[in-house]
Amino acid sequence: MATQQNPVQYAKAIQYQLNSIVTPIPVYVAFNRNFATQSKFITWMLRNVHQPVYTGPVQSVKGIDRPTFQISIFTQVIEDGFTISNQILQSLHGYSGLFGGATNGFQISKADVQWLYNSYDNDEKLAQIFLDCTLDIPT
Amino acid sequence: MALPNKILPGFSAALYCQPTASPTILTTAQLSLVASVSPIAVIGNLLPVEAIPAFGQDDAVASFSIAGTRQSDKIPVQSAPTSLTITAAWNPSDANLLLMRGDAYSGVVDRTFVISATEGSNIVYYAFNARVSQFQIDPAPGAEAKCTFTVHPRGNQYGWSNNA
Repeated sequence: MATQQNPVQYAKAIQYQLNSIVTPIPVYVAFNRNFATQSKFITWMLRNVHQPVYTGPVQSVKGIDRPTFQISIFTQVIEDGFTISNQILQSLHGYSGLFGGATNGFQISKADVQWLYNSYDNDEKLAQIFLDCTLDIPT
Repeated sequence: MALPNKILPGFSAALYCQPTASPTILTTAQLSLVASVSPIAVIGNLLPVEAIPAFGQDDAVASFSIAGTRQSDKIPVQSAPTSLTITAAWNPSDANLLLMRGDAYSGVVDRTFVISATEGSNIVYYAFNARVSQFQIDPAPGAEAKCTFTVHPRGNQYGWSNNA
């Protein structure tokens, strides 16, 4: 028996949690070219919000939500990006507990971070590192 | 209201169980009476099942053969209602899952279960008396924790009804 959780809460919690891990590096919800003047910054994108629907005509019979958010790290110095990615890995990977702070946070069973790949954008002169973080959210 | 004359989508079935730790089961006659069965099929009695397994009756035959004859014979006999292995999301506070856990612990609690197959406002009920066993919790890390249990219907204690 579970009601669908609110993606607005997910967004607030992700913003808070990432910000608290990498502060004072700025965290944004999506990429904006104006940020490219900054030496380091992070953006994130939420996807795959889905609670599996189970049998029967009753709407509340659902499973847990396992959304994924992609973390994109942009830095002018390549090593800075790797360092930030390690900071996020050490803090988030395997984390279980309150996610997103006291005001908008919620309990998660676990966070599972996958370090995807690094890259370089020659136009923006920015090194990039991408990570996926999947949350197990009990309902 | 006529019964639906169409193929029902699989997800429209739901499983309900009688409440309380020591329920009074329906009689065999009541299991086929919609007036007795439908009060059990209410949201408070819903089991949060992932998918309703196959329900109905098992195959049962007596094999009969005589040396020297060409063919043996399979004689259908009264077959037992099918046992249902249920998988549900494990919610440690769900009152009905706790009833199932208690039934499995006891092993001798008879309880009436109802499966309703619905299409709009048309409902077909399959009601049976059963005991619960093999209650397990599976905390596999790649998904939510599940509890699985097997519902073994008692022989001859089941019935079909509908709200038409």
